[in-house]
Amino acid sequence: MNKSLLNKSIITLIMLFFSFVMIVPFLWMISTSFKTPAEVFEYPIKWIPTHFNWEHHLKVWTGQSSFVHYYLNSLKVAVISTIGAVLLSSLAAYGFSRIEFKGRNTMFMVYLSMMMVPPQVLFVPKFIMFDWAGIFNTHWALILPGMFTIFGVFMMRQFFLSVPQEISEAAFIDGAGHFRIFSRIILPMAKPSLATLAIIDFSWHWNDYENALVFLIDHDLFTVPLGLQNFILENNVDYNGMMAAATAGIIPMIVVFLLGQKYIIEGVASSAVKG
Amino acid sequence: MKLSWMKRQQYLGYLFIGPNMIGVILFFIIPAIYSFYLMFTDYKFMSPDTHFIGLANIQKMLGDEVFYIAIKNTLMFLLSVPVSIGLAFIVAVILNRSVYLKKLLRALYFMPYITSGVAVAFVWMLLFHPNNGPINGILRSIGIANPPGWLSTMETSMYAIDIIWIWFMLGYNMIIYLAALQEVSGELLEAAKIDGARTWQTVRSILWPLVSPTTFLLLITGLIMSIKQFGIIQAITQGGPGNSTTVLSLFIYQNAFRYYEMGYASAVSWALFLIIMIFTVIQWLGQKRWVHY
Repeated sequence: MNKSLLNKSIITLIMLFFSFVMIVPFLWMISTSFKTPAEVFEYPIKWIPTHFNWEHHLKVWTGQSSFVHYYLNSLKVAVISTIGAVLLSSLAAYGFSRIEFKGRNTMFMVYLSMMMVPPQVLFVPKFIMFDWAGIFNTHWALILPGMFTIFGVFMMRQFFLSVPQEISEAAFIDGAGHFRIFSRIILPMAKPSLATLAIIDFSWHWNDYENALVFLIDHDLFTVPLGLQNFILENNVDYNGMMAAATAGIIPMIVVFLLGQKYIIEGVASSAVKG
Repeated sequence: MKLSWMKRQQYLGYLFIGPNMIGVILFFIIPAIYSFYLMFTDYKFMSPDTHFIGLANIQKMLGDEVFYIAIKNTLMFLLSVPVSIGLAFIVAVILNRSVYLKKLLRALYFMPYITSGVAVAFVWMLLFHPNNGPINGILRSIGIANPPGWLSTMETSMYAIDIIWIWFMLGYNMIIYLAALQEVSGELLEAAKIDGARTWQTVRSILWPLVSPTTFLLLITGLIMSIKQFGIIQAITQGGPGNSTTVLSLFIYQNAFRYYEMGYASAVSWALFLIIMIFTVIQWLGQKRWVHY
């Protein structure tokens, strides 16, 4: 018995060591952001700098191209997109899962097939269309398409299918229509799934570099990933500054992860296994 | 009376799906059709006129040396998928049974997946710094006099990208495996124990076959997800040095938005679609076979 306890402790220690390897880039990033330039590549690595330098973080947050600005842009894009996506996905998912009507399966097949189309196919025509519609190089070029996520429809549909049909039937007998059933019964039951979708969607939009790269030109409109790239191009020898900027880009995601860990992990697990 | 009300309720289906459908039409279906048309044109951004050129773009693609380099780089990039899945399986098996602090460990291994983006790409850029980077610092300290140049040489750059991608995907694969392993019955494992099966035997001949549908799913979805990825590579290397990290999806992006060869880029993007479609069909066929273990 004691031997198995010992075994378990040793294995835990080994796994802790490897998990440290997994998060070491983050630790190195934070540590470097507080060092002096001379200390960056010092070996052996000094994890805790002798003197904490705040100047690099100051440069990132108050400099010429301040991250405050990028944060506000990113928040605007990510929040509006996420709210729209959660709302529109759950509406459509309800239609696809709990109402029988003509053409539903055909429409669902169209959704399925669109999942195969890679973003690379869509970038050029979207670029031309957005230019024509006057939303190229505005936040709307990210927000409007961002409100439509096929993945979100699938995820919510999966959950709605798991709610017993009898619940709707009972409500029908009481004279409730689909809108009442959706807003008063089904949606409140789906809170954990909604939270999962919201968190995953928010993190997508926060990290979205590719769409911003294609659809934004003006520096004033840059979201965090583009702002970060810009900072790094302008300060390509200032390694401490680069790491302070990277820290600024990652911290919100770490906070989101720590707060919504349960939803994220369970959401990711269930969406793939049952999908 | 009641019947007609029920019937009207059915029509609400269109109202529920309608708003989402409008977006799907505007941002998926119309662009996809438009792109299919562009494939047969010499469309260039800002150029005054566009001609229908038939299959010329596809001919150009098949004769383009860089296209084949991109295919080769894509295959090298996709190598990271099975490696990441294999490592994730090992981690998941261990975390599933034989450790303390399970939740903490699970969160730590998963963290790169959720927090990663361009920001982390820049961190790796410094970690891989050929002369003074900490990775080569460690390699030198354990006696490797000439550590690889990682992102800075054509021979090694794709491997460096692979390492970053393995690191990124590991946590995701692990979470899916953990979910699958939880469904394996404890009785089965107890029975194996009574039969005197060693741990690695249990893993090899019971767990690995039982989770094979999950492995298959992870492999296909991982390949599809990876083949579409170009952000991290664009941020770190822009496809360089030379064309050594130009994967297919990045090749498309660069043709479209660096050289503005948008007709050509559309043609190549449909080649990418074709590959994804083949993976998807394999997935459908495989899922049918694997409904029963």
